[in-house]
Amino acid sequence: MTTSSTTPTSLPRLTPPWTETIILALRSVVKVKGGLLGTIFIGIMLACAIAAPWLAPQDPNAQNIMARFAGPGPGHLLGTDYLGRDILSRIIFGCRIAVLVAFGSVTLSAVVGVFLGVIAGYNEGKKFDYFIIWLFDIVRSFPQIILSLAIVAVLGPSLVNVVIALAFTAFPFYGRIARAQTLAVKETDYVKAAEAMGQKSMTIITKHITPNIMAPVIVCLGMDMATMIIWESGLSFLGLGVRPPTASWGIMLRNGYKYIQVSPWMILWPALAIALSMIAFSLFSEGLRVALDPKERQR
Amino acid sequence: MLKYIIKRMLWVIPTLVGVLIILFGLTCMLPGDPASAMLGPRATPELVAELNQRLHLDRSMPVRLGYYLAGVVTGDLGTSVWSGHTVSSLIAEALPHTVLLAVTSLGIAALIGVLMGAYGAVRQDSPVSGLVTLASLIGVAVPDFVAALLLMLLFCIQLPWLPSMGAGEGIWGTLTHLILPATALGIGWVGYLSRLTRESMVDVLDSDYIRTARAFALPRKAIAYVYALKNAIIPTITVIGLGVGKLLGGAVFVEIIFSRPGLGKLIVDAVYARDFPVVQGGILVATVLFVLANLLADISYGFVNPQIQYD
Repeated sequence: MTTSSTTPTSLPRLTPPWTETIILALRSVVKVKGGLLGTIFIGIMLACAIAAPWLAPQDPNAQNIMARFAGPGPGHLLGTDYLGRDILSRIIFGCRIAVLVAFGSVTLSAVVGVFLGVIAGYNEGKKFDYFIIWLFDIVRSFPQIILSLAIVAVLGPSLVNVVIALAFTAFPFYGRIARAQTLAVKETDYVKAAEAMGQKSMTIITKHITPNIMAPVIVCLGMDMATMIIWESGLSFLGLGVRPPTASWGIMLRNGYKYIQVSPWMILWPALAIALSMIAFSLFSEGLRVALDPKERQR
Repeated sequence: MLKYIIKRMLWVIPTLVGVLIILFGLTCMLPGDPASAMLGPRATPELVAELNQRLHLDRSMPVRLGYYLAGVVTGDLGTSVWSGHTVSSLIAEALPHTVLLAVTSLGIAALIGVLMGAYGAVRQDSPVSGLVTLASLIGVAVPDFVAALLLMLLFCIQLPWLPSMGAGEGIWGTLTHLILPATALGIGWVGYLSRLTRESMVDVLDSDYIRTARAFALPRKAIAYVYALKNAIIPTITVIGLGVGKLLGGAVFVEIIFSRPGLGKLIVDAVYARDFPVVQGGILVATVLFVLANLLADISYGFVNPQIQYD
């Protein structure tokens, strides 16, 4: 996954603007088998997250004690939970939390990780480099879920703290990829040329190195989002994530676990939502990997 | 090779020191007064003062770090704020349950996964190959805690066949209490390992030395399951090694759902009770096991694959 061969070596080109890069990547993802399906799924998730108040048939927090534990039926398409809340509406609103946590924590960890990794790689062999490697290795040596658990336990459960905790456990992985890629890219002719022209290190790092190491980082972004969704659900399931009554798939599973004897629907629907989003993200990131890897594209 | 192993092992020391500093730092990050935070609503001035003294919380930060490091080095992980038991005794009680669960589930998953993957690669049009794809899809789609909930729903509630709580007593009880948690944890690994083995096996079967073996008219089965599998299994072995470490600390959800008194449950229960000495100690043990598993996986990689050159 982290082969340095994905970095084109003869590249004295101008980096296209970010939007253009993203559109190009999406266009090739859609062409890969399964990539289209994944993209559509993620599109639906995004639509649910953005337009939740209009798409949801009912208020996700509106209680109706008379209609609790209802099975799927005409009034409530997917049934109701232990407070008579509409499960479909809660699933749709749960997309918001999933998307927010996934994008938030992945972006935060990638930005911090790439920043540290590139600077460390550019200063290879210096004290700063060793310090950063040490930092990465420390954080990586914790089992990830346990570390995020401990951080949330200290900071207190909330949406922002979940994002911080998950980002903290993941940034060394981006950092290591970025560092390894930087080591390869900084030996290329165009970086040497920029150095010979007397450009500042910061300019070289931001203009010449960072844009050219992003391909493997972006592939990891796609896969990590799925992991982050799982962990947000997991933390919320333990009661250490988003606070109730916010609709999150993890909280819905937590309530389903409490009432497992009474209603199977409270577990089945959020489990299905998680499963579908996992499949979507893995198809998408697989497509992204193939799309960004010139060797794979030739196959 | 030897130089690499020694270097790799020595690097563990500064890493673990860093781990200890982070664990220590976590308690310092507790908002407000740590003693009252740990005691919660039951904090009386006397209790707070007593706890402050017991945990050296009234001393300055570097002194506390010193006490903490000295304690860990001498094997003293502190005492539980709530039960008064030593943290090490609590962990010693919990760890066997987790080890048994992790080893069972990963062992069976590895056996099934490798066999399925190898067979799927040899006969790419057989149903087994389709099964590998299906298993890896399930592995991706159903995280362990969701699998645990679904299994519990199916086999404890809808069909009341298996026990849903605890670790059981006696051989029979232990086994029946192990089935569901081990399945929940292992099912994802079957998918992952079988797909990994199949992909690497397909590559190996394509290589020159296998073609040569075929030219020598060696038996097909021997070629596939002795000559090819030996090399195809290398990436799988590393992943299994990493998996053991991951499962020892990562069985949290499954242990909670099936109320299994293991390490993960110990840590989470301590988090609920704000019993930070137990949280610290539990995480430390999980992390050390994880680091050791990584170390072993790294080193074993060199042994099973002599092609790898270390500089």
